[in-house]
Amino acid sequence: MINRRHFFKQASASVLSSAAIMAHPAAITSHAANTSGYKALVCVFLLGGLDGHDVLLPYDSASYDAFANIRQALIATQGANRQRANLKPLVPRTDTVLASRQIALPPEMPNVKSLFDRGDAAIISNVGPLIEPVTRTTFQSSGAKLPPRLFSHNDQQATWQASAPEGAQFGWGGLFADAVLAAGANASRQEFTTITSGEFGPLLSGRLSSPYTFSTDGPAELFLLADLKQTDLDPERRDLLEAIRQTLGSPTLDGAHILERDMVRAIDGGLRTNDLFNSARSRAASFNASFTGPLGAQLRAVAETISLRSELFASRQIFFVGVGGLDTHSAQATTLPALLAQIDAGIGAFHAAMGELGLENDVTLFTASDFGRSLVVNGNGTDHGWGGHQFAVGGAVNGGNIYGSLPPPAVGHQADTGNGRIIPSVSVEEYAAKLGSWFGLSEGELNASLPNLGNFSRSGLDFI
Amino acid sequence: MTSLVGSSASEWYLAELAKPQSSTSFYLDGFLQGGFSNTDDRTILRSIPTFTFWKNAISGDDQLRQRMSFALSQIFVVSDFANNAISEIPQAITNHQEVLSAHAFGNYRDLLEAITYEPAMGWYLTFMGNQKADPVTGRVPDENYARELLQLFTTGLVQLNSDGSPVLSSDGVPIELYTNRDITGLAKIFTGLDLEGIDRTLYPTIDEIINQGTGLDDNFLRPMAPHESLHAEDRKEFLNCSVPAGTTIEQSIDLALDCIMAHPNVGPFVGRQLIQRFTTSDPSPEYVARVSAVFDAGRYRLPNGANVGTGRKGDLAATLAAIVFDPEAREDTNLTNTRFGKIREPILRFTHWARAFQVAAENPEYVSRLWETQELSALGQHPFRAPSVFNFYRPGYLAPGTESGAVGMTVPELQIVNAASTTGYLNFIADWAYNWRVEAASELEERAFLVEAGLVVDDAILAGAFVAAYTEELALANDPTALVDHLDQLLVYGSMSEATKTAIIDTIAMVPFDDPNDRDAQNERVSLAIWLVMASPDYLVQR
Repeated sequence: MINRRHFFKQASASVLSSAAIMAHPAAITSHAANTSGYKALVCVFLLGGLDGHDVLLPYDSASYDAFANIRQALIATQGANRQRANLKPLVPRTDTVLASRQIALPPEMPNVKSLFDRGDAAIISNVGPLIEPVTRTTFQSSGAKLPPRLFSHNDQQATWQASAPEGAQFGWGGLFADAVLAAGANASRQEFTTITSGEFGPLLSGRLSSPYTFSTDGPAELFLLADLKQTDLDPERRDLLEAIRQTLGSPTLDGAHILERDMVRAIDGGLRTNDLFNSARSRAASFNASFTGPLGAQLRAVAETISLRSELFASRQIFFVGVGGLDTHSAQATTLPALLAQIDAGIGAFHAAMGELGLENDVTLFTASDFGRSLVVNGNGTDHGWGGHQFAVGGAVNGGNIYGSLPPPAVGHQADTGNGRIIPSVSVEEYAAKLGSWFGLSEGELNASLPNLGNFSRSGLDFI
Repeated sequence: MTSLVGSSASEWYLAELAKPQSSTSFYLDGFLQGGFSNTDDRTILRSIPTFTFWKNAISGDDQLRQRMSFALSQIFVVSDFANNAISEIPQAITNHQEVLSAHAFGNYRDLLEAITYEPAMGWYLTFMGNQKADPVTGRVPDENYARELLQLFTTGLVQLNSDGSPVLSSDGVPIELYTNRDITGLAKIFTGLDLEGIDRTLYPTIDEIINQGTGLDDNFLRPMAPHESLHAEDRKEFLNCSVPAGTTIEQSIDLALDCIMAHPNVGPFVGRQLIQRFTTSDPSPEYVARVSAVFDAGRYRLPNGANVGTGRKGDLAATLAAIVFDPEAREDTNLTNTRFGKIREPILRFTHWARAFQVAAENPEYVSRLWETQELSALGQHPFRAPSVFNFYRPGYLAPGTESGAVGMTVPELQIVNAASTTGYLNFIADWAYNWRVEAASELEERAFLVEAGLVVDDAILAGAFVAAYTEELALANDPTALVDHLDQLLVYGSMSEATKTAIIDTIAMVPFDDPNDRDAQNERVSLAIWLVMASPDYLVQR
């Protein structure tokens, strides 16, 4: 069997000794995470950088006209779905952000609009990576510490997920999972604490936990060994198949190459975790909610997995799915509405599915993205920015409100670094901390997961 | 690189350089001339660059050029992922394949220039049709290509030492090379290029060219054309470079690329990534420094005394020689160096199988399994189909939760290793190891699929395409030890550990035989042995 001299995990299955848990800093924090009941976080990462300017649209006449003037080259090709009359105005329940201004969602987001109106969706505006608060003055004078590699996709994705640029090892989702595991969540089976549908970055990489990757195109199962499930299998054949399975997972690792050890652990751990997952999978719920498109397929798989929480022995879970194509340097007028429609449909279906499970108050979905984009147009698209707008959805969300701050549709204002690439007023770590607090983490655990959290107040950010 | 052993490695290298380049237009010509397919089915049209890749990568005589071209395709990423717009115009990626192949042993500066004028890259990084700023509407130039040209194709984000390590500030942090001001400055260079012959009053966006059918598809085979009136005429500053006001588009691009190419980061930045594609995932700083010195000098002296390269910075034939002839790659002591080596890419595992068993690979279009291998349930990787310009994996990837990551080894390929993809690969490679598609039912199903897709099916080709005869292996089927020894030599260059060998021998010995001439059992034992070898860590990690 696999040599466990090293405290390294399987690629997907972590079998932890109590010693490993006790050694983890979170375990010795006096206020350990609350792990009662069931709770799940679902991160929908919008890969490429969502243009928040084209999602949270100015609606009062003066703001809309200013926006339409700056964006005239784009709006000319966007047609009816960016005409003011066709937008979906939002009326916050308690406004602290807009004052005399009004805002709207684009017409391709009816589900989010309806969730907002019902109080199940909140908007966190102008959120982005920060180390400490930044103003235009400190930005220009280098008077504030800035996140490294601003405006670079891979680095800002990593910074969103792990507070450091590419190469970051531990994401806050993984560290949140470590904290709840150390506090005793998912004690009888830890493999399904964090789950992803692909490779979207380090969010779920913990010190103890590592994500299980599921495939949305059917169960991952070795068909050469499928006959092992037959009860009347010829004994000679059964012996052969069991020997094959043994051979795949058991080469002697002593003295082997470091990458060989990593590969054996990945294959053997993957096979074992897949077997556990697949044996539960047939009992997954089916939903009336209609999931469509690539994001829908991922969110359906998440919903199905949540329906198996008892079979998988999970009381705390974090899921990570992604949708690509948001890097709208070009053809934004046609590509973005289609993507927003897909995102909107996915969010709507997922929330409905959680309602069908009776879990709408126990599951919170939130969005994240590399960065926002420039307000100024480059012809038929927009370029990399910094702060952007995100959604949090679920029964636990204090919805129907906008949190953070919303810079005016203009350039040269106090939050503008140039061409309407806006300086975030809410740091990603504040956003994450509110989600982590709901998930059950203590202040100590939040601070251990989010290195710069102490530089921010989290005031006025009670979206959950 | 064990294939270098035997005849003179230097001679082998020179012979590879001299080999004629495999055609990149075979499938495109066939498709356009109509003999290849009897419909304009989009699935076949979208797969033309895929067919070209598999055919040349497996059956092309110019193997080293093919490997270099594939390596370069992972730096200069253009992708038809998710049936995006250029998947509808096979000329685009076909031309990209031609450019990469033609420059594979050429000069990096020339390659950068060819890439800059490529319609495929112009579309993918959205600078095709990019225009100078318009103060009236507030429009500014698109920054996409300027940013990725620096970040991904030439310098990277931070100042590098010649050994690839970051230069550190007095605070111990890497020093960023540029700010967004440099990007907006460089973006002005790439204004005024557009698809040859396009009338933007009729087709304002490329999507309209694709959707409406303009007859311009063949122009994706030719460099983009300059439109001086759309080019920013003002002075352009970036990266301590300056291009004076009033230059033409071609002058602007020449000056900009010359200045970027002169940056000391380019050698270590490009050299390290090419090392990762050929020999080792986490090269030592000394190895990177030796390769980047050759990149800069543009010349390399082979062991037999012959010189490779023109002496101009960026010579790729010299750079590749420095990579494969480096002592770190060549000396046997590195077989025991636990940090030297790389995980074989899934695509290269499959091409390796096909080459090792000499299958008929001239007609990949007959094998639907090869049309789409990007799913996690297949290879999790498909040529010219990375999810984004950031490729399948990143050169600096440290895999969380792994032993290599914990000791700080960069291992790009681990970024696509997970529970779904490892099982996907094992299933995928079993299809080939077991020749399962030659079963009558599979072949009929495949035939129906191909006919439905519009392929003109030749049954003789269908029956033989990508089927392994395993003649040598079947002759050893009754001797498990001899069979595994043979596969060790063929696939793992004799480096398989005794433990792995014993486990595989013992397992395949359990395949039940009715009698010594049981043909089915012999077939099963051979297939199982190949599959277990290709699933073994000894195989998956190339040293």
